[in-house]
Amino acid sequence: MFFHIVLERNMQLHPRHFGRNLRENLVSKLMKDVEGTCSGQHGFVVAITGIENIGKGMIRDGTGFVSFPMKYQCVVFRPFKGEILEAVVTMVNKMGFFAEAGPVQIFVSNHLIPDDMEFQTGDMPNYTTSDGSVKIQKDSEVRLKIIGTRVDATEIFCIGTIKDDFLGVINDPTTA
Amino acid sequence: MLRAEDEDASELKLGDDFLKAKCLMNSEVAILLEHRCDQMKHMSGESMHQLPQVLEKSLQYVKRFSRFTNQGSVKQVREVLSRYQLAEFELAVIGNLCPETVEEAKAVVPSLKTKGRGHDDEAIDRLLNDLMMIKKFE
Repeated sequence: MFFHIVLERNMQLHPRHFGRNLRENLVSKLMKDVEGTCSGQHGFVVAITGIENIGKGMIRDGTGFVSFPMKYQCVVFRPFKGEILEAVVTMVNKMGFFAEAGPVQIFVSNHLIPDDMEFQTGDMPNYTTSDGSVKIQKDSEVRLKIIGTRVDATEIFCIGTIKDDFLGVINDPTTA
Repeated sequence: MLRAEDEDASELKLGDDFLKAKCLMNSEVAILLEHRCDQMKHMSGESMHQLPQVLEKSLQYVKRFSRFTNQGSVKQVREVLSRYQLAEFELAVIGNLCPETVEEAKAVVPSLKTKGRGHDDEAIDRLLNDLMMIKKFE
């Protein structure tokens, strides 16, 4: 899910950036430092949409750097366990398939794919029902439920399932 | 603070940081990000050929999965849905997935079934109808 939240950060600025453009320099440095990062707590920071306020700068002892506390609004993407969302399939193999929802990777194991879908090898590996009416392959759009998340320093991985009511393929690229 | 293992969106357990945060529907994110991209292109002129990866991927994703594209109707969706005493998170999931039946709505937003919140099938049905109307006249 995408959220609009307010975050805080102390930005350190070199004195050569002081002057009339101090504020602009701070803001552009903040954007450069923060956009695209990921933390386990807040998820992926997609874009900064506004600055709430910039506090008074404090000179750091021993260096010329000044640190400014900044409060900013941003759009973040944070997956939650139990969340249901749509994703695009990026890779299919006999272990299951990977899908992407924005910056997040989601793995759906073959145990969490309905039992009537079988893996088919070939140029375009896929999972297909026995009557061939439903097919999951690269670029399919699926609706899935996140059942677990794993966080490391710079990424979030999710485990998903499509073995439940109202989950599964929503659009087949071959028929679209 | 809630630990990762205790989070559960189906019971609306999102942790302190996100409980009061504003949830955004994909359609809203699309509008915000497109604006931001224009701004970036404008700022860096011709020198920028590529957007940062997280931004690029998010933009592609929300464009692909936006149910409403017109700014007016996106606003209308939020207005209409906020009449039904939904949590922010529930509102955004319904706006994103646009369930067609009451059964489907309850499956994708299990917290609707919580007793005592006044979401009987009739209310959900009305909500889905309102949503369908916006979609139809977009």
